Amino acid sequence: MTELFLAELRRSWIQLLRYSTEAIAGIVIITVVFYGLFLSTQYIAGPNLQFGERLDSVIVGYVLWTLAVFIMTDIAGNLQREAQTGTLEQLFISPYSATQVFLTRAIASLTIQLTLLASILGLIMLLTGSRLSFPLAVLPAFITVLLGAYGLAFVMGSLSLLLKQVQQLLGIFQFALLFLLAVPSESWTGSLKLLGLLLPMAPGAGLLRQVMAQGQPLEPIPLLLAMVNGALYLTFGLVIFRLAERETKRRGKLGGY
Amino acid sequence: MQILEAQTLKKSYPVKGQAVLAVRDVSLNIAAGEVLAFLGLNGAGKTTTIKMIAGLILPDAGWVRIAGRNPHQDAKALRSLGAVLEGNRNLYWRLTAAENLEYFGVLRGLSRRVARQRGQTLLERFELTEKRTTVVQALSRGMQQKLAIAVSLIHDPQLLLLDEPTLGLDVEATQTVKTLVREIAAEGRAILLTTHQLDIAEELSDRVAIINQGKIVAEEPTAELIRQFSGTAYTVELEAELDGDRLQKIEAIGAVVQAHTVIVRDPALLYHVLDILKPLPLVKVEKDRANLTDIFLTLTQAYPQT
Ligand SMILES: Nc1ncnc2c1ncn2[C@@H]1O[C@H](COP(=O)(O)OP(=O)(O)O)[C@@H](O)[C@H]1O
Ligand SMILES: [Mg+2]
Repeated sequence: MTELFLAELRRSWIQLLRYSTEAIAGIVIITVVFYGLFLSTQYIAGPNLQFGERLDSVIVGYVLWTLAVFIMTDIAGNLQREAQTGTLEQLFISPYSATQVFLTRAIASLTIQLTLLASILGLIMLLTGSRLSFPLAVLPAFITVLLGAYGLAFVMGSLSLLLKQVQQLLGIFQFALLFLLAVPSESWTGSLKLLGLLLPMAPGAGLLRQVMAQGQPLEPIPLLLAMVNGALYLTFGLVIFRLAERETKRRGKLGGY
Repeated sequence: MQILEAQTLKKSYPVKGQAVLAVRDVSLNIAAGEVLAFLGLNGAGKTTTIKMIAGLILPDAGWVRIAGRNPHQDAKALRSLGAVLEGNRNLYWRLTAAENLEYFGVLRGLSRRVARQRGQTLLERFELTEKRTTVVQALSRGMQQKLAIAVSLIHDPQLLLLDEPTLGLDVEATQTVKTLVREIAAEGRAILLTTHQLDIAEELSDRVAIINQGKIVAEEPTAELIRQFSGTAYTVELEAELDGDRLQKIEAIGAVVQAHTVIVRDPALLYHVLDILKPLPLVKVEKDRANLTDIFLTLTQAYPQT
């Protein structure tokens, strides 16, 4: 698995660098958006507000959303691209299972994406002199969100295998995602609270907000619940993907996009 | 040793709500070192069969074993399998030849070190060393296909599936692919090859299986099939046209004369005819030999649409 992960990392990195116009376009867009965020929060926040906290949570929220969108569309997009370039079926003729291959790929491309984001953020902070505080305590909460995102990525991948054309669905999903990440489920009570725990990624996103914006410490029980939520969605996604793979093989439509 | 065993494979596809049988009870066996040419018209079911063997399409019935393992249940079976699929590029166009070999090597379960070593050897062997740092996109179609075959061999599989490997190649590249296929089989691998080009099948294959409308209508050693379909007539070719006396004698015993050639339908009469011709100079004496194209057309037309 480590060998495969490194091979995927090399493959993605080489392709990114070799066709650098795409890479540069991507980096420019991210940089502009972040720079805009920095400026606008400074403007909105004004000199009287406690600027630091607000900026941090806006940036973290935005990073989280881009990463979640990136992860969620990664597998479906990958399937579609590979089918077009005529390499998809070769991925299924491997002693590694398709779930292993695509999970490894998704993690490799997340690693690259995170590296890019971190460098850009670092650069902006250097330029603007702003400081982002990123308490290490948010990391576990962040991971629960990622688990859920990977679960949904496999669900989207399954839809892509079965339906082939999923661009529009992916678009709609990005907004659903925005809702899931923004819904203040941590302040819900009663049966709504239960629903909040069941929604994908919502518990983890809530924890992140509490820690980042309100400066509360990370409580073990909510973290545990968020972990379980993430793990369940990941498992669900993997199971669905295996079923979709089998159904697609039954229909004889693996390569046919 | 049988590397590939496929038994009574069946597959139907739903077309407008109805199940259309694409493959019916296809069984194939290929031993180590053997080349089986799998022939059939467009839509006969070749690709469906190949993909069922590769674990890419789930059969409705029947089973597959590659080196004794079922590719649909045991991922280890896929270690013994390499495939170049039809109409696909099978390669990453943005990666170089060497990078493709390395990546697919790891994907097939090798370590990076071994994948690199084997990639290097294959590049040398396939005469692609000069192109090792060229991206696939910039290679000629023939070189891409050579590289695709090299990549399919990176993990040293016992079975190689080649679906239309010479499609769209020029004469020279076709020749190269033919030579490679022969060499690969000589190393003891089993090869299943589909092609439209029957002359290629005739030259390369040890055995032929002809599929028509999803059913295998002939499966024989290539030489045996050709012998069966070959006539018993002989053709004798002369340097000069026959003169009057000999012409009459030969026609009298029932042979046919066409300018420089004499066609002897009944093989028992051959030496009779040769006696009469003696001592005229001959160009050649030849027994009629069917070619695979005639056989193929005969067989696929003998089993019309059902
Ligand atoms: N995924 C599919 N869905 C429906 N029909 C299919 C599918 N794949 C192949 N077919 C049909 O099955 C038959 C066999 O196709 P194929 O195996 O590709 O033949 P060949 O490779 O010999 O040209 C054809 O009639 C084809 O149209
Ligand atoms: Mg075909």
